[in-house]
Amino acid sequence: MKFKAFLGYTAAILCTIIVIATFGGMKFWSVALVSATGVSISPWYNGGRIVKTIDHGDYKTEIHEPVFQGLFKPRKKGFIQVDWIRTRKIPDKIGEGIDIEGDGKIDFVVEYNTLINAATITPLSPPVIALEKTYRLKDGYAVRVWLKNQGR
Amino acid sequence: MNSDEMKTGSPQKWQFLKPLLLTIPMALLLAMTLTGKEKPKDPITLTAVIITWVFLVTLFYLMMSTQKTNRYRAIFFTTLAVCFVFGFITNLIEIRGSMLLKDADMMAGETPFCHLVLPFILIPAILTKTIIFPGSLLGSFAPVATMVVIWLGASLALGRGWCSWACFFGGMDAGFAQILRKPPIKKIDRRFTLLPWAVLIGMALISAATLSPSYCEWLCPFKAVTEFPEVTSSARVIQTVIFFMLFLFLVVLLPILTGKRTQCSLFCPFAAFQSLTNAVNVFDVRIDPEKCVHCKKCIQLCPTLSIDEESLAGGRALLSCTKCGKCVDNCPKQAISFHVKGTEACKRAILDRNLFLYPAWLFGATFGGGTIAGAIARLFKLITTGSLF
Repeated sequence: MKFKAFLGYTAAILCTIIVIATFGGMKFWSVALVSATGVSISPWYNGGRIVKTIDHGDYKTEIHEPVFQGLFKPRKKGFIQVDWIRTRKIPDKIGEGIDIEGDGKIDFVVEYNTLINAATITPLSPPVIALEKTYRLKDGYAVRVWLKNQGR
Repeated sequence: MNSDEMKTGSPQKWQFLKPLLLTIPMALLLAMTLTGKEKPKDPITLTAVIITWVFLVTLFYLMMSTQKTNRYRAIFFTTLAVCFVFGFITNLIEIRGSMLLKDADMMAGETPFCHLVLPFILIPAILTKTIIFPGSLLGSFAPVATMVVIWLGASLALGRGWCSWACFFGGMDAGFAQILRKPPIKKIDRRFTLLPWAVLIGMALISAATLSPSYCEWLCPFKAVTEFPEVTSSARVIQTVIFFMLFLFLVVLLPILTGKRTQCSLFCPFAAFQSLTNAVNVFDVRIDPEKCVHCKKCIQLCPTLSIDEESLAGGRALLSCTKCGKCVDNCPKQAISFHVKGTEACKRAILDRNLFLYPAWLFGATFGGGTIAGAIARLFKLITTGSLF
C-alpha cells in the first residue's frame, strides 16, 4: 500500500516534469518523432515526390510520381500531378506533352490557360483517364490527372 | 505582541504566505515559458506578455488561496477560447487575406494541424506511414509533429484534463454554458454520451478507407470560427453549411439551453478518444462515501455528464471526467476531491489537488499563454495604430 502510494506520488510529481520537458524540448521531440516513425505527408495531399523537372527558362515544369496510395494496397485509380512553377514569368497559355514513365512516349497533352485557370487534357495512352482539377499555386499552377493503375 | 495576537497572527500570516509560496514557483516557470528563449523586444508584445503573466499568476494564486479551482480555471479557459478565435482569424486575414483555406495553401502544406484530427490519422499512419493531412511535419505554424508531441505530453500529465485545461475550443461551449443561471433543459438522456464514441469509430473508419480526415472535412463545428476550404463546389457549400449549423447548435444554443458542454460531451470524437488517456493518467476525481449524502448536486452540476448514480455509488467520476473541479468546489459536504491513483482516496485532498494543479495550470498556461498575449498585442495595435494588422 505504501509502495503504491510512493509510486503514485512520484508519478504525480513527474507530471509537472513531463509538462516542462514537453515544452522545453518541443523541437527536439518533434524531430525525434519524425525520424523515429519515418512518417511523411500523404501524397494525396502533397502530390507525391517530384521525379522530373524541365527547365523552360522563365518557368519550370515539375512532374510528380503517380499516386495510387491505398490503405492496404495501391488503389485502382490514382493521379499524377504536374506543376508549372514561375521563375520569372509563366505564359498565359501552356501547351505541354507529359511523359509519365520517362519512356520517351507522351502519355497526355495539357493545354492550360493560366489567365482563366482552365485546362484540357488529351489522353494519349490507356492509363490516362481525365483531368481531375486545376490548381492555382502560390508560385504557379498545377493539374492533377486521373490515372488507371496498370499494375492492378 | 500579546498572546491573542500570537494566537491569531500566525495562522493569518500563514494563510497568506502558503498560497504565495505555492505560487512563486509557478510564477517563475510561467515567466520562462511565456518569454521563451528571449524577452520580446517590441514594447507592445512585451506589455502583452507581462499582462498575460500577471493574469495567469493571479488566477493561480487565487486558486491556491481560496481553494476553489473551477471558477478561476473557467476564467482562463473562456479567455483562451475567445483569444484563440480572435487571434487565429486575424492572423489568417493578415497572412492570406481571408479565413478561407485555398487549395494552394493545402498543397503547400500550410494547413495548421489541430488536435481534433489526431484520432483519424492514426490508422492510416500505422498502415501507410503517411499522415493524411494537408499540413507539414515540421516547421510552419502548428506542424503535425509538434502538435503530436504536445498531445502526448498532455495525455501523460493530464489525461482528459486536456479538455478543461488546454483545449482552445473547449472554452467556447463552456463559456456559453455559463450564460443562464437556470437553463431551461434540465435533463439530458445519458445515451447521448455514447454519440462521441460513435462519431469517433465511424469517422476513424471512414478516414482510413478514404485516406482523408473526414471529421475535419464534414463535421467539425469549429471550422466556423477558424478556417474552412474555399467554397468552389456544391460539396463545399454543403460542408460549410454543416460547419456553421453544428457550431450554432452544439457550441452556442445547446450549451445555453442545458448549461452543459454539449459539443465536448455529446459529440466531440476527440473527447471520446482522450477519455482513454484517463485510464493511464495518475490523477482522477474521487468521492468519499463516508461524507457523501447523495444530494446528487455533483451529477446536476457536472458540465460533461461525467458523474452518474452508478459512479457516485462507486466513489469515482467516469472515464470522461475532464477534471475541471466543478464538483469538487461545489459539493456541500466536501466529499469530492482530486486524487492521486495508488494513494488512499480523499485522505490528502489538498496535497492531491495541488499535485494536479501544478501540471494542469503549467500546461494550460504555457500552451494558451502565447495565444492570450497575442490577442492582447493585437488589441494594443488596434488602439495605438487604428489597425489590427
